Amino acid sequence: MEWINSVWQHIDAAFIRENRWQLYLKGLGVTMQVAVAAAVLGIVIGTIVAFMKISVKKNGKPTILSRIANIYIDIIRGTPSVLQLLIMWFIVLKSCQNGVLVASITFGINSGAYVAEIVRAGILAVDKGQTEAGRSLGLTQVQTMRYIVLPQAFKNILPPLGNEFIVLIKETAIVGYVSLKDLTRVSHQMTSALYDQFTPLIGAAVIYFVVIKILTILLAKLERRLRKSDNR
Amino acid sequence: MIIVKDLHKKFEDNHVLRGVSYHIHPGEKIVIVGPSGSGKSTFLRCLNLLETPTSGEVWFDGQNITDPKTNINEVRRHMGMVFQHFNLFNNLTIMDNITLAPIKHKMMSEEEAKETALKLLQRMGLSEKADAYPSSLSGGQKQRIAIVRSLAMSPKVMLFDEPTSALDPEMVGEVLAVMKELADSGMTMVVVTHEMGFAREVGTKVLFMDEGVIMEENTPREFFANPQSPRLKEFLSKVL
Ligand SMILES: Nc1ncnc2c1ncn2[C@@H]1O[C@H](COP(=O)(O)OP(=O)(O)O)[C@@H](O)[C@H]1O
Ligand SMILES: [Mg+2]
Repeated sequence: MEWINSVWQHIDAAFIRENRWQLYLKGLGVTMQVAVAAAVLGIVIGTIVAFMKISVKKNGKPTILSRIANIYIDIIRGTPSVLQLLIMWFIVLKSCQNGVLVASITFGINSGAYVAEIVRAGILAVDKGQTEAGRSLGLTQVQTMRYIVLPQAFKNILPPLGNEFIVLIKETAIVGYVSLKDLTRVSHQMTSALYDQFTPLIGAAVIYFVVIKILTILLAKLERRLRKSDNR
Repeated sequence: MIIVKDLHKKFEDNHVLRGVSYHIHPGEKIVIVGPSGSGKSTFLRCLNLLETPTSGEVWFDGQNITDPKTNINEVRRHMGMVFQHFNLFNNLTIMDNITLAPIKHKMMSEEEAKETALKLLQRMGLSEKADAYPSSLSGGQKQRIAIVRSLAMSPKVMLFDEPTSALDPEMVGEVLAVMKELADSGMTMVVVTHEMGFAREVGTKVLFMDEGVIMEENTPREFFANPQSPRLKEFLSKVL
């Protein structure tokens, strides 16, 4: 009985007393805010970059746009995201004091590189014959993309995009570096306030896990439905 | 109707078409046969510029369509193409497959396009499939729909690239029957096929393509009865 009491004491101190759970909830709010904003920005950037990347000249050589896209993807994938965040915070967006905004932009730009690959792969996975049939009927490249290729690519893109969002939620755990009080940061601060490392950290991990588990289940459901409506 | 002048096509170092010249007149049914890899598909795809020729010219209806200034999308409306693997649009119903291009080209209103499509489907005995998706159709049905999709544009010429090669044997007949009917209606056709019976019966001219050139050209009767080149004799002995 003694140890149950002691565990309860710790939980009480870490989460319940003085409504401390609200701090975690706020932290989770910051985490989700950054993740959602970054995801939206990442999808916009990623889609544009994907089209830049698949653009080819008439002679089949890559365009300047596709070279730029490749350089961007290379840089993002070749550097740690913590450094990207610090560089944005202390150098590029130095004048911006809004940490949520800087973090969202940083992770949006970061995620864009991965989304670009997802979108590109989704488009390229659509059978070339679909495009050829469209073009043979006199449809323009844009019309063929819009009415035939993209609707089919969308089904390929959606599941990995959901995964990318889940990755983002976890990746944002470093925004404490720019003094944002996200879920990870809140629990970390709590450890020094309470002289208890165990309970706040494990608690935060459980919260992350539950959120991500729920999203994973929803995503699996979506995937099943997409597959069912798959007319191929 | 289609004039091809000294057409060459290279894929990197692979010189696939090595100088093809030919003249297709209105109403002709040109059947192209030849061993696999000889450039038949590439030749056909150069006719509507799905492949860009490396050199040479293609003229359609008095217009040099290999001229970069030509609006190729406008030209393609008048040239139907039927593919070996059907290439029906997977995300659209049969009805939308047929009406998409006519509607987007503003050739017809939506109602007119649907009416036209339904008439064509009825003629094929496939009208109950209008709201189905391609995945629910048999290969033979898919290919007949693909033909309907092209016909809905009222093309002046139809290009067929091995339209029956991906079909189960029992479905070849229904597709060939549609093509025969189309031929009888006066359509100008260019058909790449391994169906020698079709070549004999429907073709006005049969071409033998080998190593990127038209090696021999003749009326079906002469083509099969009196092959000239040893290559064609060898080819015929294999396929007949
Ligand atoms: N898109 C392409 N890229 C590279 N090589 C190609 C392409 N299309 C066809 N080829 C090559 O061109 C040659 C002729 O192909 P094809 O015209 O399809 O022959 P056929 O239809 O007579 O079987 C083959 O060697 C093939 O590998
Ligand atoms: Mg071929």
